[in-house]
This record gives sequence, structure tokens and C-alpha cells, in this order.
Amino acid sequence: MLSFLGRSLIQKLVTLFFVSVVSFLVIKLAPGQPSQIDPLNPKFTPEIVERIRKVYHLDQPLHVQYLLYYKDLFTGKVVSWRDERPVLGKIWERFLNSLPLFIVGTLLTWTFSFPVGIRSAIHRDGWYDKSTTLISYFLISIPGFFFAYILIILVVTKLNVPVIDMQTFGVTSASPLVHFMDRLWHLVLPSVLGATGGIAVLSRYVRSQMLEIIGQDYVRTAKAKGLDEDRVYYRHALRNALLPFVTMFGMILPGLIGGSVIIESIFSWPGMGRLAYEAILGRDYPVILTINFISAVLVLAGTLVSDLLYMVVDPRIRLE
Amino acid sequence: MQTSNDIVLSVENLQVHFHGEGPVAKAVDGIDYQIRGQQTVCIVGESGCGKTVTALAVMGLLPQPPAQIAAGAIYFRGQSLLEMSPAELRAVRGRGIAMVFQEPMTSLNPVFTIGDQISEMIRTHEPVSASDAARRVLQLLDDVGIPDPARRIKDYPHQLSGGQRQRVMIAMALACEPDLIIADEPTTALDVTVQAQILKLLRDLQARKKMAIQYITHDLGVVAAIADQVYVMYAGVIAEQGTTDHIFKNAAHPYTRALLAALPTRNKRGLRLYSIPGSVPHPAYKPKGCPFHPRCELRQPSCMEDFPQLCDFGKGHLVRCPITFADRGAGKQRLT
Ligand SMILES: Nc1ncnc2c1ncn2[C@@H]1O[C@H](COP(=O)(O)OP(=O)(O)OP(=O)(O)O)[C@@H](O)[C@H]1O
Ligand SMILES: [Mg+2]
Repeated sequence: MLSFLGRSLIQKLVTLFFVSVVSFLVIKLAPGQPSQIDPLNPKFTPEIVERIRKVYHLDQPLHVQYLLYYKDLFTGKVVSWRDERPVLGKIWERFLNSLPLFIVGTLLTWTFSFPVGIRSAIHRDGWYDKSTTLISYFLISIPGFFFAYILIILVVTKLNVPVIDMQTFGVTSASPLVHFMDRLWHLVLPSVLGATGGIAVLSRYVRSQMLEIIGQDYVRTAKAKGLDEDRVYYRHALRNALLPFVTMFGMILPGLIGGSVIIESIFSWPGMGRLAYEAILGRDYPVILTINFISAVLVLAGTLVSDLLYMVVDPRIRLE
Repeated sequence: MQTSNDIVLSVENLQVHFHGEGPVAKAVDGIDYQIRGQQTVCIVGESGCGKTVTALAVMGLLPQPPAQIAAGAIYFRGQSLLEMSPAELRAVRGRGIAMVFQEPMTSLNPVFTIGDQISEMIRTHEPVSASDAARRVLQLLDDVGIPDPARRIKDYPHQLSGGQRQRVMIAMALACEPDLIIADEPTTALDVTVQAQILKLLRDLQARKKMAIQYITHDLGVVAAIADQVYVMYAGVIAEQGTTDHIFKNAAHPYTRALLAALPTRNKRGLRLYSIPGSVPHPAYKPKGCPFHPRCELRQPSCMEDFPQLCDFGKGHLVRCPITFADRGAGKQRLT
């Protein structure tokens, strides 16, 4: 167990190193420049450009730039080229904005997908299964932005739910309760929208997993023992059907830093997705690289969590 | 229906059809059999003849659809299983009739310990405490010859060999002391020495626990070792039935005789074993007339036209072959 952990940690560190090198190279080699050092930018004279290049170490060879950047990252000194603010602080601020969306969206996705998928599988080809299948394919195939506008039209005009940004402008001066409710209402549409696609996909996956397990010999054995349906399906079948989702559970960790560009743009939500998107457009290398690096760390941590969880839930797996 | 109250299981004109693409597959095409208390009845036949489907029909475990019980009745202790409510049927499963399946490697749930799975059987049917159930599980594991049960009880199925898993399945089947155990080729997936051990185990347990056994096999050697009564099945019908002694001495149906000829015995040592030419027809594409006629050495023109009736040879010996009946019947008349 401990040796598994040790080996796995070393492996993950090596992977992380390669990820850092590759992402650094990709970003540096991509065409385009930050506007401050773009020779075509009429606002800057060649002398100023030269000075800025020096400040950002852009006059150094690539491997030195690489080392300098990661040294800054680990000492917390990386700053955005756009506004000279510390990158970690910027990310943290946006992260806190994205977090409620992420949490509510993920909770919605996981709490709805499982009951729907399981029920479809148990009543395979019944009316419930057929209608959820139809709705799922509809939700999977409809473009997110289009669906968002339909929802906005319905919900905003009919129910007067506030959308756009994280809170109504000027609401901070109202009572704390009103403020809190306002923020909750602002969460509704973007998180529901983020979850619907997830529910449609995940519930299909749960259904197919469950169907496969229901056909297994040991489920027949459970029925032959005289167990009632609930016990057969929710104890004997479900425990097995859930195993692959444990892996997926580790995979939601990276979602913490992802955010959705589309949803955040539609609802003017100042979240992570837009931060990354704007950083890429502005060639704000430190921000891009830092988000990249944190994502990589989260992905690797997620796989480690999955492995450990798998070991807990599947007795056949003993990692050594 | 049968009235004798000693009859544990009675299957009457059971027909199971599978609906899929193509013609309807009549996997079981009208079979009748009875099992008395503490009797061992063997259903023997080649792969695909409908043995497992019959057993699953009795347990109410056929996947419906595609399966459909097209006709017939099944009585357990005089009660019609096909007309029972789901709750009544659950009370019979495990407690009245328990089943040991053909595939020991996949029939146990991989994520629960074997102790868990056996005690679940007990606690489903009897109001006993967890600790009482655990004590009984230990006893059962000991009964089926699992060494060191106290340690094994916490094992997961993957930690056991195939033979041990089948022993666990048997322990589970025994747990509520059912009136009948249906054992569906419990040894086919195991190697020969383990087969012999499992057979002996079942025989010993049957004597001790006083239960009836429906033993499904394709091996007449096994039949000779354990059965009181034999039903030879071919393409979804009973070809021949009788007591074991009688069948081994007086087999009449050409199919039974071919099976016997294919059986390795001591005085055939060194000789090439007989094997029946051809194979069992698929249930959706059975030939007209007698389903065995394409492989039969005694085939007459009438065999290709008429479905053969069961002929009564006396003493409970029934044979679905008018050709041999005409032969032997004539012989009998000469003797008496
Ligand atoms: N789920 C199913 N769908 C369609 N056909 C089936 C199904 N189960 C069984 N059958 C058909 O029923 C026939 C009898 O199958 P069954 O499993 O009873 O054979 P068996 O006598 O137990 O053979 P074996 O010795 O191989 O176990 C087979 O020909 C098979 O094609
Ligand atoms: Mg079978």
C-alpha cells in the first residue's frame, strides 16, 4: 500500500514534469505575442519593447525562461503581464467565483443521473426508459448556447429570475438575506444549464452499466435466493455497476479549475473559464501556464484518488 | 395435476419458446417429469437440448422476454408456481427450491464476502440474528468441506478456486434446508477429481438433509453414480425415462443407446469410443417428425413425417420411439 503510494507519487511527479515542459513549449512556440512587445503595436517604441522583453526575460534562451517561470511559480511571485497582479491571487479570486457553479452543477449532475439511469435500466424498454432516452438525446444534441437562450427567455420573462453576472448590480446595499437570495437565484440558470448536458450523458452511461450488470450470473443467483427486487437491484447489481464511476469521481477534480467558457460568457459570470480564455487571447503567458499547471496537478491528484477509491470499493483490486 | 403428496415437483407439458429474429425457438417443447421427496432425478442430454431453460422455468428466472412459457404447468408441493404472486414465488426460491448454477466462476457476487452471501440467504427467509446466521454459515461451510471456515467466511469469491466456489454455492443452496435442490451441471466447469468430490458431497448431504435433487448433466457416468430416476432429453423433449437401473440395462431409444455407447467404461478400454454423428438441431430449426431422425440408425420413412409418441414399456419405462416399441413389443409377445 505504502509502496504503491510512493511509486505512484514518483510516477505522477515525472508526468507533471513532462507536462510542464510540453505546455511551456507549446505556448511559447504558438504564433502571436503579448501586445506590449508586439513590434507592430504603434504605442511602443522599439526601445520600450526591448526593455519590456528584458523585464519578462524574453531575451533569454527558452530553457532559462522555463526555469525562471517555474521558480517564480513555486515562490508565488508570478505576475500577470496584463495588469502586473500576482497570478495566484487572480486565479484564486476567479476560482471562488466558479466554485458555487461547479458545486451546484456537479451535485445536480450526480444526484439526477443515477436514479434516472438505474430506473431506465431496471424498466428497460418501458415508457420511462423510452422517454428518458428521447429527452437525453435531445439534450445531448441541442447546442448549449441555443438551449441557454431558450431557458433565459422562458425563465427570465415568465418567472423573473435574475440572470447575468453573479448578483444584481447594487444589491450589496440590501439586507444580507436579500443579497444571499439574489446570489442563489443568479446561480440557478447557469448551473442547471451546466448540469443538463452532464445528466443526459451520465444517465445514459449509468443505464448501460446497470444493464450490463443486470445480465450477470450473480444477479440471477441473487434472484434465485428469493431476494426482493430492491435488494437484487440496489444491493447486488448497483454495487457492481458503480465501480467504473469511482474512476469518474476522481476525474471531476480537474473540473474545479476548468469552468465553462460558453456558460460564463452567456451569463457574464466572472469565472475561471473566462479568465483562461482572456489570458489566451491576450497571450498572458504566466496566467495560461499557471492554470495549465494547476489543471495538470488536479488531473494527477484525481487519478490517485480514483485508484485509492477503487481499492476501497473493489475487493479484487489490491494495489501493491 | 398429480395428487400424491409425496411429489415435490411436477412439471406438466412445459413449453418454453424464445422469440427473436427468425422463427420461434421452441427450446423446451412439452416435457413432463416428477420428483418425489428425497429422490435424485437426473435430466441428461447434450448441450443445447433445453436442460437449463427447464430449470430456469421452474425457478421463475427465465428472461421474459425473450423467453415465453407457451404452455404447461409447474407444481411445487401441489401449488402452481406459474400462478404465484411475486412474493409467494420469492418465498419458494431459496427456501423451497434452491439452485446451484452451471458457472461457479461467475455465479457469486464479486463484491461481497462469501459469508455475507450465504448469511443473506438465511436472513432473507428466517428471522434470525446476524450472529446466529454467522454461526450457521460456519457450520454450512464445514458441511460442504471448506477447510478453515472461520477464516474463509471473510473471503471474497475471487480468493477461492472454482471447486471451492461451487462448494460455497452448494452451502448457500443448503442454507435454508430446501425440499429440492436443482443442480445444473454443477461440475461441468471443474476438473475431474473435483467433480468426483462434489458428486460425493451432494450424495452425502442429500442423505443427511433429506432433500430431493434434480441433477442436470450431459454425462451418463454421473447419472449412474447418483440418480434414482433418469429423463433423457433431446431437442426440448423427453426421449426416454425410467429408473436408472432399468435404463442402463434396457435402454430402448436409439439416442439413449448411442449415449451409452459413447460412455467410456472399463471393458471398452483401448477401443475407440463411439461418438454420435451430427449434432443437436437448433430449437428454431428442428426437423419435421422425430427430432432425432437425421442422426438415427434405425430411421424409417415414418420417422421423418410423424412426431413420435411416448410408448409405455411398463414399470415406468417410457420411450418416445414407436419403431423400437414395435420391435421389442413383438419380442415380448413371443416370450410370454
Ligand atoms: N436467452 C436466450 N435467448 C434465446 N435463446 C436461448 C436463450 N437461452 C437459451 N436459449 C436457447 O435454448 C436452447 C436450450 O438452451 P439451454 O441453455 O437450456 O441448453 P442446455 O441443455 O442447458 O445446454 P448446456 O449443456 O450447454 O448447458 C439453446 O439452443 C439456446 O439457443
Ligand atoms: Mg445448461
